[in-house]
Amino acid sequence: MKKVAAIVGILFAALALIVISDRTLPPAELTVINRSEFNTVDPQRMSYLHDLRLAYSIYEGLVRWDNMSEDFAIVPAAAESWTVSDDGLEYTFTIRENAKWSNGEPVRADDFVFSWRRGMLPDTVADYAGFFMHIEGASDFLDYRVDQLSDYAELPESEKSAERAAALYDEALAYFDANVGVTATDERTLVVRLERPIAYFLDLAAFGVFSPVNPDLVRSYRVFNPASGRIEQSVDWTKPPSLVTNGPYVPVSWRFKREMYLERNPHYWNQDAVKSDTVEIIPINDPNTSVLAFETGRADWNSDVTAPYVADMLDAKAAGEYNNIHAFSTFGTYFWSFNCTPKLSDGRDNPFHDAAVRRAFTLAVDKNDLTDNVKRSGEKPARVFVPPGSIPGFENPEGLPFDPERAKAELESAGWLDRDGDGVPENSSGTPFPVVEMLYSTGSYHADIALAMGRMWEEHLGVQTRLVGKELKVYRDDLKNQRFMVARGGWFGDYGDPTTFLDLHKTGDGNNDRGYSNPEFDALLERAAAETDPEARMALLEEGERWMMDEELPILPVWHYNYYYLFRPPVDEDGMPNPGGLRGISTHPRLVQYLWQLEVVTEEEAEAARRAAGATASASTDEVGP
Amino acid sequence: MTGLIIRRLIQLPIILLVIYTITFFLAWSLPGSAVLNDEGRAPDPKIMEQIEKQYALDDQGKFYTQYLDRITGLRWARLNLQGRGDEAPYVFDFGPSFKFEDWNVNQIIGDALPVSIVLGLGAITIAVIIGVTAGVIGAVKPNSWEDVATLAVALVGISLPSFVTGTLLLILFPVVLNVGTVAGWGRASDILLPAFTLSLPFAAYIARLTRMGMIDELHSDYVRTARAKGVAQRSVIMKHALKNAFLPVLSYLGPATAFAMTGSFVIETVFSIPGMGQHFVDAVLSKDLFMIMGVTLVFAGMLVMFNLVVDVMYRWVDPRIE
Repeated sequence: MKKVAAIVGILFAALALIVISDRTLPPAELTVINRSEFNTVDPQRMSYLHDLRLAYSIYEGLVRWDNMSEDFAIVPAAAESWTVSDDGLEYTFTIRENAKWSNGEPVRADDFVFSWRRGMLPDTVADYAGFFMHIEGASDFLDYRVDQLSDYAELPESEKSAERAAALYDEALAYFDANVGVTATDERTLVVRLERPIAYFLDLAAFGVFSPVNPDLVRSYRVFNPASGRIEQSVDWTKPPSLVTNGPYVPVSWRFKREMYLERNPHYWNQDAVKSDTVEIIPINDPNTSVLAFETGRADWNSDVTAPYVADMLDAKAAGEYNNIHAFSTFGTYFWSFNCTPKLSDGRDNPFHDAAVRRAFTLAVDKNDLTDNVKRSGEKPARVFVPPGSIPGFENPEGLPFDPERAKAELESAGWLDRDGDGVPENSSGTPFPVVEMLYSTGSYHADIALAMGRMWEEHLGVQTRLVGKELKVYRDDLKNQRFMVARGGWFGDYGDPTTFLDLHKTGDGNNDRGYSNPEFDALLERAAAETDPEARMALLEEGERWMMDEELPILPVWHYNYYYLFRPPVDEDGMPNPGGLRGISTHPRLVQYLWQLEVVTEEEAEAARRAAGATASASTDEVGP
Repeated sequence: MTGLIIRRLIQLPIILLVIYTITFFLAWSLPGSAVLNDEGRAPDPKIMEQIEKQYALDDQGKFYTQYLDRITGLRWARLNLQGRGDEAPYVFDFGPSFKFEDWNVNQIIGDALPVSIVLGLGAITIAVIIGVTAGVIGAVKPNSWEDVATLAVALVGISLPSFVTGTLLLILFPVVLNVGTVAGWGRASDILLPAFTLSLPFAAYIARLTRMGMIDELHSDYVRTARAKGVAQRSVIMKHALKNAFLPVLSYLGPATAFAMTGSFVIETVFSIPGMGQHFVDAVLSKDLFMIMGVTLVFAGMLVMFNLVVDVMYRWVDPRIE
């Protein structure tokens, strides 16, 4: 028995030891719940929303958006001013004199050259490398470097070395300086030349991947891989205390899947704009736990609520029983994709190759029914792809309504009508319409939508449907290889221009999962790209969207996404400051939130406001009184 | 004893190699691309090709040998002999994580394993205390209401999935009673609820094992002799019977501890704990190849080691065993 007790004792001692060795941080002024851990803090490699939100708080690009303004205007950030040449090709930015890195060194134009070059280099493996390809010579530079690395890989092992790889990179740098349109003409002047005029270039420049990284820091953590010749970045450069940033905050602690802790960057030029001194960001994967964590006061803002009972929370809000849930419409659209290729992956003829069939299937879907009775969380039904009202100067087309009669007629015009009276339409050779396979990823609401939509198609078009639920990775693999008939999809725009949506229909676009190819539409996008008059350009894009949404329908838009936040309202029912409430959330559909803009209403502030109100109240009573 | 330890330690690398090979073929055959994000934009195909070449994702055989070279420490040894030690930061290099690009698998496991070990040790400790107490009570008074009650609790402990008990406890303690925290890790109070939830199925099993063992032992000759000699009931149970009845529990504790310590996906998700468990599931779902291999090998290694520790303890508790 003593020995058993000894075993238990050892267990306890080990436990105590590990518990003691763990440390905790003081509570931050602002605590935010994210749905998952950051994928990367390296701005050039970012592509997830939560990563980009962090980029806007710890880095500062040349320009940023005014996320509180109606038109999401571009305002100066690290650059205090800029000029654009008359032909719209050359942008000259002047960097702020007092723009500083968190180590106190000045932010120089060269830092942007270095960072943007990183974004173009294949070595960086940036998801958004394509955004840099608008810059003159960038695309050739990428090809040059890819060829360089391929040639290096062919070398005999004895000739490969880190030195050789470094020398190769120096050659690439020389090529870059001679050919790519990003140049620092002095410490504070950055000149950018574009391949062709891009109306939304400043909007792109405000995007997180254009943020600067500190060149000295990045260089000190890189090695040249002698086997591949590539630059390899040690993952440790993004960890505090090494990390140097130029934004409002600087990370002081990052523990994997525990928290990211930010502190005010003492060298940031615009201190007044930064509301909270410290910010803690905690990742909570489980949707239910993240709601409970908010409810028990662990956080001030839950930035992504996905609990299955969101609809009930919204109902409670409508009934006036719960006011912490907030739904915002976003710059994104939930849709279902039609496979537009002539043949299905199994070699059968694809009925959805015919635009009339796609129109029929779109007309047969009652989207109001889906949003009101299936999803139930306040989304706006969608007839178009580009979310209405999100881009200034862009007018959406009508899109196709819910019209079962017309749907049937469209299907018949495509040659599919019920010839043998069994209820299922057949084509002219008597082959019945193939069972419509609906591909979706499991573990979310997509199955419910598929079920409801399938029923609508069965009812209004007489076709048969089958649900094909697959695990996310498999679903995505099938989608990317056009192994589907119809499949669920979704898209969030990246920048304030319709092309961020319309490019998806371009032949061969990396995100054109539908295999849709229409040379005339490609030509229209080309014409719009070449058009220098902004209004004429918008008119072309409007025509493109109309064409896709009224006639071609490579996708079936279902609703415009909502985003759900949990935070206590900054003012209570009486309009008084609400202690614990959160101020500074942007409601613009682009839904860019700047953490430095957010501020929790303190008890003192609420108290002061109550006293002031009490004073005015009694003062006014005095006036009315005698 | 030393012979046993040496034998087991020699077996370890062979077992790990077999497990690596099997895991490799399973993970490799997972559908989808390891480097493509689950959402968002797809990078330029030229860039995708680069990254696939970089990690030998285009060549199964090359990937197998390259990774084997890294995890066995051969690469580290070779580079250090060549004076290029700075290219190999770890002796056993598990490689980068594809999903969490700012961390490599060594760092992730280094962070997560202590968390899971604390949680697992806590759970096993609670399970032993609860389980043995309940088992002894049940055995001393078989078929009494106390016995039936512990049996019922044990049944519930085994049958209720931990996401149910976990969520119920979360709602009961932090939300309703305002005791403890919902999510987080670091303070002692963060450990209690998840450790208790995790301990329940183990406690239930231990209770049944102890009860069975105790009933057997209490009917054995040496206990009857002890009683005949007038040894007090308490002493009979604690000193004589329990010692022998504990042996099956001890042998169960080996794999149980390894399982508890390598993390529970459900508990870690429900309580938002940064442990190992979620990495098993996450890594497979996102086809994070290096991560799958890393966590599987660490788990396998721990399983072997814990069985060894238990075997050693077994002999220490009961010297009769050879």
